[in-house]
Amino acid sequence: MTLAVEKPGPGTATPPERPSGARRASAWARRAPLLPALVFMIVVTQLPFVATLVISFMDWNAYYPDEIGFAGFDNFQRVLTDVNMRDAVWTTILLTASVVIISLLLGLGIALLLDRSFRGRGAVRTMMIAPFLVVPVAAALLWKHALYNPEYGLFNGALTWLWGLFGADPPQPDWISSMPLSAIVASLVWQWTPFMMLILLAGLQSRPLDVIEAARIDGATSWQIFTNMTLPHLRQYLELGGLLGSIYVVQNFDAVFTITSGGLGTANLPYAVYQTFYNAHDYGRASAAAVVVVIGTIIIATFALRTVSSLFREESGR
Amino acid sequence: MSVTDTAPVPATRTEAGEPRKPRKPRSGALLSLLAWVVGILFVLPVVWMVLTSFHSEAAAATNPPSVFAPLTLEGYRSFFTGGASPWPPLLNSLTASVISTIIVLLLAIPAAYALSIRPVKKWTDVLFFFLSTKMLPVVAGLLPLYLFAQNTRLLDNIWLLIVFYTSMNLPIAVWMMRSFLSEVPVEMLEAASVDGAGLAKTLRSVIAPVVMPGIAATALICFIFSWNELLFARVLTATVAQTAPVFLTSFVTSQGLFLAQLCAAAFVVSLPVLVAGFAAQDKLVQGLSLGSVK
Amino acid sequence: MATVSYNKATRIYAGQERPAVNELDLQIGDGEFLVLVGPSGCGKSTSLRMLAGLEDVDRGQILIDQRDVTHLPPKSRDIAMVFQNYALYPHMTVYENMAFALKLRKTSKAEIDRRVKEAAQLLQLDEYLSRKPKALSGGQRQRVAMGRAIVREPQVFLMDEPLSNLDAKLRVQTRSQIATLQAKLGITTVYVTHDQVEAMTMGHRVAVMLDGVLQQCDTPRALYDTPQNVFVAGFIGSPAMNIKTVPLSEQGASFAQMILPMQREQIAAASSGGGKVTIGFRPEATDLVGPHEGGLPIVVDLVEDLGSDANVYGHAALDGGSERFVVRTDRRGMPSMGETVFIKPQPNHVHAFHATNGNRI
Repeated sequence: MTLAVEKPGPGTATPPERPSGARRASAWARRAPLLPALVFMIVVTQLPFVATLVISFMDWNAYYPDEIGFAGFDNFQRVLTDVNMRDAVWTTILLTASVVIISLLLGLGIALLLDRSFRGRGAVRTMMIAPFLVVPVAAALLWKHALYNPEYGLFNGALTWLWGLFGADPPQPDWISSMPLSAIVASLVWQWTPFMMLILLAGLQSRPLDVIEAARIDGATSWQIFTNMTLPHLRQYLELGGLLGSIYVVQNFDAVFTITSGGLGTANLPYAVYQTFYNAHDYGRASAAAVVVVIGTIIIATFALRTVSSLFREESGR
Repeated sequence: MSVTDTAPVPATRTEAGEPRKPRKPRSGALLSLLAWVVGILFVLPVVWMVLTSFHSEAAAATNPPSVFAPLTLEGYRSFFTGGASPWPPLLNSLTASVISTIIVLLLAIPAAYALSIRPVKKWTDVLFFFLSTKMLPVVAGLLPLYLFAQNTRLLDNIWLLIVFYTSMNLPIAVWMMRSFLSEVPVEMLEAASVDGAGLAKTLRSVIAPVVMPGIAATALICFIFSWNELLFARVLTATVAQTAPVFLTSFVTSQGLFLAQLCAAAFVVSLPVLVAGFAAQDKLVQGLSLGSVK
Repeated sequence: MATVSYNKATRIYAGQERPAVNELDLQIGDGEFLVLVGPSGCGKSTSLRMLAGLEDVDRGQILIDQRDVTHLPPKSRDIAMVFQNYALYPHMTVYENMAFALKLRKTSKAEIDRRVKEAAQLLQLDEYLSRKPKALSGGQRQRVAMGRAIVREPQVFLMDEPLSNLDAKLRVQTRSQIATLQAKLGITTVYVTHDQVEAMTMGHRVAVMLDGVLQQCDTPRALYDTPQNVFVAGFIGSPAMNIKTVPLSEQGASFAQMILPMQREQIAAASSGGGKVTIGFRPEATDLVGPHEGGLPIVVDLVEDLGSDANVYGHAALDGGSERFVVRTDRRGMPSMGETVFIKPQPNHVHAFHATNGNRI
């Protein structure tokens, strides 16, 4: 389409008339509110990490303060070949994966149940939230003593009562000793399922219902609707829940410390590092362990962050 | 909202603005029952905890459990008066949580502003940086902080804990506030600018009231996470600045009859979080998902 | 009360080749109601926001009342703006929304009260002063947005598609209210819309834009009678003008059986168009004639019965292709679908444009 007014010459990059000083000033004005938080974070998190890195190369045991020296990669060698450390890595992976996956699945099921309206739905939701609101160490204590204890815990008490109905001798397993890691997993699943459920429920409730109604008219069954519409929509919520849950459970200390004190093969990485530093007082080795943990986490976090960026896909810059 | 308003009706609402509910399938009653059963199963340990806390020690330790034993305050009495008093740790927890939350908000809100409303050039990178600090295991900083505290004689000082909790919660707060601030319509800010409001006035009179629910959700989450924290509190405090979770760890290896007292202790220590969380359930969801779920 | 001038004002977004607003030259008189109209992406909103100070001006100048405001922030320009989505402050009442800007300027409470009440009365918002925006209907919110601008008593009113979120009936109602209000207050107003009916009925003058370039700025009548190029001709008027490119003969445009006579200067100007010329005739300036009067036969596809008259849509073979036409006719002789009717443009109402550059000749 040709135009009435003659177009002026092609508008290539002619420098704008705004003075460049004003531009720089406005860029700094934008940065200023960010700086306090940023500086604070760098000082309080990055500096200690740098210090940890330095110490990891040192031969430093608090019991022998006169013998601090340079250790090269010795600490790392010992950490990477230490059976305990490797077990701790494996335990951490197992623990995190179990807790996150089980609570995601359970959370999804319960969210689906709560997505319908029924009498007392609000009450059930409130009941579901309760486990998450118990202080983690208190919850761990609760499970250890009030639930798992073979003599007077609730589980064995329930078994006694149930078997008593048939006049038989009840099994009274020592839950923690017989399945230590599963015991911890159970208590963590109890605490984290509400978290997953809340996120997934919010995801379910944000579904566009007209699309689903259109599908029903087209003859789709409930299962088909679930797999083809609900699940894709929920994908980013599942990712969010999985990501956030993993970040927290990987670093879990309270449950391991309380329920088994890291014994019976349940020591995960945070606990192992704590042990090395707090009890063994081998600072060099503890630092090396911490560095190894950090490197491992960075690798995993890179994958995780790509997931997070998918949460950003729709946001446009201002 | 009258029907003449032609703003598009979201698909989750009917024409009249009512929330649209999917029709109940015929297996409704069974599913409702299942929901109730699941809910009860999940809340059972909490209920058991509260119930046991009001039983006598003898009654609490029976097998099978005596659900209907007479209620007594024996557990609470031994918790509050037998042995070390829990009040200082509770107070310390309160101090640390409240003060660190306030500082976090003061730092996070301007930072979030610089990442959403008038963003700096590389705001996505900055945001990822904040989140990445959260992903790195805190144990990596434990030793240096301990040594630092040891050398500066800040061990067993509540302020060290406050500083640490601030750094622990700051990334979450920045993420959440950024998400809430990005919901403020650009047009409203432009209208304020045309009306003549400068930055401070816009923040105070236009933005803050609109994001107040978001601020509340952020504050709630920061409070809860600070209150719950155990590892660093245990390492960096001893007697003076001991927080409530650390105080609870004295029960880890207890022997003898103490179940009622334990339950009383667990309940008391969890009470603030329970109350705050129940009071603001919706804010809890918003907070936990870093503000991405509204 | 002030004049507004755009002097070669230009806005280029980083990384884009074509400027969003390309050397806009516009002089708006004191008290004038000027409408900026054009299709999506033509630069009308950007031009308005440049005047408001919400967009940078990369080149050129903007003057309000002869004062260079090009790089001043919005609050220093003495303008008031009505936004498309109203941009009301949700936590403030209607009264507080309207008073906010005045409070910022430290106007006395008595004066604020006077102005707000006056504006409320003008807009019939008196009973809603203590309500919050979420308790108002769309039309009421729109009026509050206008009230917020009115109390400022600015030099210039800026309105960015304020009616597009209202339903049709309300839109028509509010349109006349705004026009009346502006006439009463006499404040220079720059109004942006994509709806050419709004533009034609409200503005003293209308500026048509396309792809960042001003096409024509004139009174509605002049735009209708003498569009300066093909785009303006096709944009103004509903249903749109019939515009066809046909061969140029020595006496004028050769349109089907007819020769539409053109003046000698016109034919000369059109001759560089490769032997063709673009002609346009409005549906209301076309007659339905009998079968032997030399008109073009078209097959009727659709008849829109508007009550007082009707729009007849049809197609015909022309120069090897099938072309569509629209004719406005009155109730008598309304054809039916599938019928063949004969159309003839009224001779004094045919517009001629250059076949290649689209300019009016």
